[in-house]
Amino acid sequence: MQFNAELTGDAATLARTHSGVLARLPATVSAFILVELTKWPLLFPPERRYQRALLEHLSRIPADELERSVAGIARVEAEAGASKIGERNPARFQDEAQALLRKRGLLVAWRSEVDVLFQKIDPALEAQLYPGDAPRRLIVQIYGREIAVQREKLWSRFKRAGLRVPLNLEGEADTERFLATLFGVVGNRSTTPALLDGAWVIEAHEALHAVFDGGDTRLKPSRDESLTGLSYDRLRSYRDDLTRTLNAKIQSGVESPQAFAAYARSLRIAPAPGALLRADDILLAFVRDVLLTGNGTMIVNNTFVEWAAAQALRRAQPRVLATRFGVRDKLKPFSSMIMFSQARPTDHVPAVPDPAGSFIDVEQLSYYVWVNAEKNPAYRGKTLYLFLAEGVDEMLAIGPDTAAPPTAIAPARLEDVCATMSIWLGVPVPDGSGQPIRALVG
Amino acid sequence: MADWWLPRNLFAQRVAGARTPERRAIVVTFGGGVRYEDTLARDGWVNIPHLASDLVPQGIVFPAARHEGLTGHFNSTGALVTGSRQNVDAYGSEAPVTPTIFELFRKERALPPEETWVVATNKSFGLMGGSKLRPFGDPYSANVILPKQLLINTIKSAVSTNGGPGVEDRQALAERMMLALDEGYEGFGWKVFESGRTLSGELKASLAKSLLDYFNDPAAPTSGDELTFFMTKEIMNRFAPSLLLVNFWDIDIAHYGAYSLYLDAIRRTDRLVYDLWQHAQSLPAYKDRTTLLVVPEMGRDSDVAGNGFANHRSGDESCRRVWLVALGAGVPKGTGTERPIRTLDVAPTVANILGFRMAECEGKALGELV
Repeated sequence: MQFNAELTGDAATLARTHSGVLARLPATVSAFILVELTKWPLLFPPERRYQRALLEHLSRIPADELERSVAGIARVEAEAGASKIGERNPARFQDEAQALLRKRGLLVAWRSEVDVLFQKIDPALEAQLYPGDAPRRLIVQIYGREIAVQREKLWSRFKRAGLRVPLNLEGEADTERFLATLFGVVGNRSTTPALLDGAWVIEAHEALHAVFDGGDTRLKPSRDESLTGLSYDRLRSYRDDLTRTLNAKIQSGVESPQAFAAYARSLRIAPAPGALLRADDILLAFVRDVLLTGNGTMIVNNTFVEWAAAQALRRAQPRVLATRFGVRDKLKPFSSMIMFSQARPTDHVPAVPDPAGSFIDVEQLSYYVWVNAEKNPAYRGKTLYLFLAEGVDEMLAIGPDTAAPPTAIAPARLEDVCATMSIWLGVPVPDGSGQPIRALVG
Repeated sequence: MADWWLPRNLFAQRVAGARTPERRAIVVTFGGGVRYEDTLARDGWVNIPHLASDLVPQGIVFPAARHEGLTGHFNSTGALVTGSRQNVDAYGSEAPVTPTIFELFRKERALPPEETWVVATNKSFGLMGGSKLRPFGDPYSANVILPKQLLINTIKSAVSTNGGPGVEDRQALAERMMLALDEGYEGFGWKVFESGRTLSGELKASLAKSLLDYFNDPAAPTSGDELTFFMTKEIMNRFAPSLLLVNFWDIDIAHYGAYSLYLDAIRRTDRLVYDLWQHAQSLPAYKDRTTLLVVPEMGRDSDVAGNGFANHRSGDESCRRVWLVALGAGVPKGTGTERPIRTLDVAPTVANILGFRMAECEGKALGELV
C-alpha cells in the first residue's frame, strides 16, 4: 500500500532508500514504521538508530523470505478486510486498522503475528545495536528520607538477588549532604560530575535537582545541558496547565477517546523556565507523553517517577539513571473522578502525606524500574543497580556478576559508593572520594 | 435514615403472571481486575481475611478459574452475565451481543424490572443490564444503577464553578442532585431501563435523598464501592430482587500505580463482600435461600511477563487467572476443587440456580453448586 507520509530530512531519505521494502510489507507494519519516521524530529538517538537498523535489516532479507515472514500478518489483515481502508495517512490508517481489527475480533491474532515477526527480527537487531562490549551502565534508585521505611521489608521484592552492602552514614545527616556526597558534587554546582555526564535524574520532589543547582532554578537550563532532570514537584504549574486545558476540552465535548488522545498529543504547553534542567523539543514532547500516557502520572508523584524512568530506559536509554522516590499524598475521596476539574479554593481539602503507604508503593515501583531495565538489551548484563534509602545504613547492589564475598563487607561510606560508581563507569573518581567497593567492581 | 424510606416495593411494578423463584442469586464482581497472587494465592490471604477465614469455609472455592476474551472491564463483565465472550466497545457505548441472564430470567418468568438489578461502581456499565438483541433488550433488561457516577457528577458540578453552590451547602447540593435526576440522568451515568413505564417522581426523589443522606454521613463518602454497597443494601431492603449483580471497582485504582492503594481497595472489597453477605443473612427475603457468587471479572498484568499490577492490557496469564468463591443455598460447605473453570460458567450456573433456561452460550453450569 502506498502511504502519504509527511516526512522530511533524514526520515524522508530513509523512507526513500527503503521504499521497496516498505511497499512489500503488510500495510499495518509499513504504517507503523512510517508513523515512527514521522516522529523523527522528536525521537531520541537510540530510537532513530533502531528505525534505521530495522529498515536496513528488512531490506537485506530476500523478497521470498520476507514474504514468508510476514505471511501471518498479511493473512490476518486480509481476513479483517484492511485493504478496504482508503486512508493514506499512515497514522490515521493505523487508527482505522486497529479499530477494524478490534471490531472483527482479530486484534489478538494480529498482535500474535506481529510478535512472531519481531521475535525473529529482534535478536539480529539487538546484536547489532547492543554488542556485548558496549559501555557499562548504572541505575541508582533512592528512597527519600520521609518515606517510612520498614527495614525488615526493605527491597524485599528482590528476594536474595544482589548484595547487601553495609553503609557508614556518619556525617550524612541530611538529604542534601547525603545526595551531594553520593554523587560527588562538591563546590561548584554548575559543573556536572563526570559520572553523571549524560545522566537522567527523575524524582518525586526536587532534592536531587537542588543538589545540582542549589535550588536556584534561574541557573537553568544548565550550561552544558549534559544532565536531564525531571522533577514532579517542579513540573507542578505545567501539570496544572495541562489539567486545565484537558478539562476545558472535556467540558466542550470530545467525540471519542481516540479524538481526545489526538487532541492531547497536539498540545504545545511549555513548562515554566527552570522547571527542567534542559528543555529541548524532544524532552518537552517526552514530558508531555509521560504525563498523558502513563496512568496516574498526573496524580501520583512516585508513579510519575517510575513511568518516566521506564520510558527513559526504553526510549532515551541514558547510560546513567538516578531516581528518587518520595512521599505521596493520601488520595482525597473521589478525587479520581474530579481530577480534571478545578475545584474552588474553598473546596480544597488539605493534602496529607502518606509515608507508610509510600513505602509499599516505592518497593513495587523501584522493582518495576529494575524489571524494565532488565528487559532492555541496552541494560541487560551491563548494568550495576544500586538501591539506597536515605538514613538507612545499608544498600542493595545488583550487578551482572555480583556475588557475596567470602568475608563480610566492611561498612562503606557514601564517598566509597561514589568511587565505586565512577570506577564501574570508567570515569575519573571525583576528588575526595573514597575507595571503591571491591565486591562490586573487582 | 429509615424515615426517609418508603415501605418496600411501594413503587415496584406488578406484572400479571409473574413467577418469582424461591431462590435468590447475588453475583459480586471482586472487581476492577485483581491478580491471583494478590488475593487467593497464599501470600495474598492477608489481603482477603474475610474471604479466606469467614466465607470460604462456608462454601466452595474454585482456585483455578480463568477469564477468556478481552481484558477490559465491560467485555469481561459482559462475559460473566452472558456466558459468552463479548467484543463490544470497551467504554460501554454498546450493549452485549448475546442475551444476559437478566433478560432470559425476566422474559421466561414474566418478571418485573425490580426483580433484576445491576449496581455498578464502574461508570461505563450503563448498558450491562441487557443485550442489543431484538427479542430481548430493554423490555427485559435489568435495572442498572451507577450511584458513584451520579454523586460524583453532582459534586463535580457543585464545586467546579465559583458561582455555584459549594459542597458545604447541603440543601443546595440536594437540589442539584434532584436536578441531575430530572435532567435526563443517562448523561450523568445513570441508566434505568424502564420497560415502557416511567419511574415515579417519588422513586426518583427517594433515591436522590438516599444518596444525599449517604453523602452527609461524616464517615462517607470515601469510595465508590462503599456507595455501591450502600445502594445495594437499599435495593435489597426495598425490592428484594431475585437476581443482583454487584460490581465493585475500587481495585482499579491500581491504574494510578500506587500499590498500597490497590491493596487497600482489595481489603475494602473483601470487607464489603463479607458485609453484603451478612446483610443478606439478616433479611428474611434472602436468608437461607440465596447463593452468593464472588468472582473477579479478570486479573491484572504480571510483573515480569506483563506491565505490572497497574494494568490489565497484556493479556498474559496473570490477566486471566482468577478464582471463584460460592456460598449459601445449594452450595456444599468447606470444599474446594482444583477443577479448571471459566468465568463464562457463571451465567449458566445462575440460570441453574434460579431455574430458568440458559440460551446457548460458551459457558457450562458448575455442577458442584446446584
